[in-house]
Amino acid sequence: MLRSLKTINMIAAAALALAASATASQAADATKVALVPGGPHPYFAAWEKAGQDGMKDFKLGAADYRVPQKWELGLQNSLLESLLSQGYNAFLVFPGDPVGSNSTVQELTENGAPVIATAGCLKEPTTALFCFGTDTGNSAYLGTKELIKAMGGKGRIPHFTGFLVDPNTQLRIDAVEKAAKETNGAVTVVQVIADIDAPGPAEEKINAYLAAHAVDVDGLVTTAWVPAVVASNALRKIGDKRIKMVGIDHDEVVLKAIKDGFVNGTMLQNPYGQGYIGSYALDRIRAGCKVKKDAPFKTIALTNRFIDSGTVYADKDAVDNYVGSMQSITKKIFAEFEKTYLTCS
Amino acid sequence: MTLGLPERAGTARPALPRAASWLLTNEFGLLALIVGFGVAFALGTPGFGSPFNLFTLGRVMAIDIMIGFAMMVVIATGGLNLSVGAIGVCSAMTFGCLSERAGLPLAFAIPGALALGGCLGALNGQLIVRSGLHSFIITLATMSVFFGVMVFVTRAEAFRALPAAISAFGKARYFGYVSPLLIVSAGVGLSLAALYRLTPLGREMLAAGASAPAAELSGVRLGRTYVLCHLLSGVLAGIAALMVVARTGAALPSMAGDLGQDWLLPAFLGPVLGGAALAGGRVSVLGAFLGSALVSEITNGLLQFRVGEFWVQTYLGLLLLIAVLLDLGRRKFLASIGSVAR
Repeated sequence: MLRSLKTINMIAAAALALAASATASQAADATKVALVPGGPHPYFAAWEKAGQDGMKDFKLGAADYRVPQKWELGLQNSLLESLLSQGYNAFLVFPGDPVGSNSTVQELTENGAPVIATAGCLKEPTTALFCFGTDTGNSAYLGTKELIKAMGGKGRIPHFTGFLVDPNTQLRIDAVEKAAKETNGAVTVVQVIADIDAPGPAEEKINAYLAAHAVDVDGLVTTAWVPAVVASNALRKIGDKRIKMVGIDHDEVVLKAIKDGFVNGTMLQNPYGQGYIGSYALDRIRAGCKVKKDAPFKTIALTNRFIDSGTVYADKDAVDNYVGSMQSITKKIFAEFEKTYLTCS
Repeated sequence: MTLGLPERAGTARPALPRAASWLLTNEFGLLALIVGFGVAFALGTPGFGSPFNLFTLGRVMAIDIMIGFAMMVVIATGGLNLSVGAIGVCSAMTFGCLSERAGLPLAFAIPGALALGGCLGALNGQLIVRSGLHSFIITLATMSVFFGVMVFVTRAEAFRALPAAISAFGKARYFGYVSPLLIVSAGVGLSLAALYRLTPLGREMLAAGASAPAAELSGVRLGRTYVLCHLLSGVLAGIAALMVVARTGAALPSMAGDLGQDWLLPAFLGPVLGGAALAGGRVSVLGAFLGSALVSEITNGLLQFRVGEFWVQTYLGLLLLIAVLLDLGRRKFLASIGSVAR
């Protein structure tokens, strides 16, 4: 018994030594970026291609898209901790919670791995370098303004939006309200339905709402991916083009509904640019660059170190060239990024 | 190491030598599996044995172990507590409110949060005793009630300006890789073992689970015992919740998922793998500790192996099934050797 315990101890010690030496040897290697969303969501799918392109273009050791099994802060934290142990040394993270993720992000940075809060921000104070994402409030505001224009400047609109735990959701709700208030009562937000950025709840709540109130509303604004898809399908089924709609993102269902005239337009975001430019920025930071203290960051509710990854409205005329629109925004931000935000000796 | 009432005459196995009977225990099987998987993961993945991974693994283990204990203490009486996650979230939010909004020091905020957990647990117990309904029904209902009231009172607003000491505790490391949270879980485990092994109350809890009519005839006050078990479960859920708060540095309404349901799987896995009888009367504190530790270790190892994130649950289930079957085979084999030797 004692002999077998000794043998087990020796094997375990050897394994630990092997593991430790492997980890140490990796530490000084090339940048290995992990792109980690808060959970599974189609918005983040473009990060995978962005990482692959970034790895090729910037000669990174890796730039892998790793998704927690579901939207749960604990699972995301465990995944991030595990990735650090696996040798990833730079992170693009969509925070599962603007404060609850700070503790894990701090552990990553304390272990020498720079972090950029991507597509969603962390609440200050945070050890993340900065927040790089859509100015969601501005996007929702501009989208609502487009909707109001399409409705002729008056009417009643419901707002379908995303997870309440998403730090962007409240910003979107406020922005839609702001755009409506600017009409001095001509446009009213009759209802906000949140926490429906998943197929089940979105189908249930949007269809139920439209079944009961379609005749009472003149337009719809959706500021999350899945509600935009479900609302586009619902308007197609209803077949009445009287109800105007402005959606968000670039799901095929939404784009086709725009082409067919059931949806007026969509507010495009730039997830590809976030992943691509974010991977580049992390590599430059690991190469010795520093974030400029006087960089022209924007200030939003959660942070005063915000970089807008770009947003653009695409209607029937622009929808066929939406990829080109986002690529041109990405190229523009990328061309100026290092000069604007980094100091590299 | 399993704690329970003596087996009935005629059904007990013939006495084995002390060392051989330890080899037959569930706890030894779990320990062997933990060591086996640990060696396999350390050999197979470069990061598993790193101090940082061992530290984070220990921290996750600590929380899962405590959640398992919170369920185990009611399983001891043949009951269930489905509201374990909801009670945990209520305790965490109470802690946040007392600490951040009321400005109370940790010495008051922590006992206050645990007291609320205990009260909610005791309320479960009272409802079960007074209604005569199974704890499954009562705690299924109170899970929604507790969570709903918490969301209404807090408006689902997280407490994010907690004292730095609480998150410093969650991030502290002893000897480079030991989380203090794991020490807390071990300490609570020792206390529970002492409760069941050394105190009349612990024996009464097990007796009530083994056979309620017999326990009542022996003078055990069943109602009081059930209420105390649920009270203890509430306190332990509160401790688990405070551990999560220490880990994240914030008290979040979403910390245990919708209605606290994310805690149900770890709550059952640890005690059941550890040898607790769902019908009551038999629990193993060490087994629950090791069972939870095994699940956390396998999950961590699968992540290290870069098994696709969506396959982790499938592989976890398969590995657990294989592990349990191997353990069953081991015990049958050793038992047959023991019979032959005698």
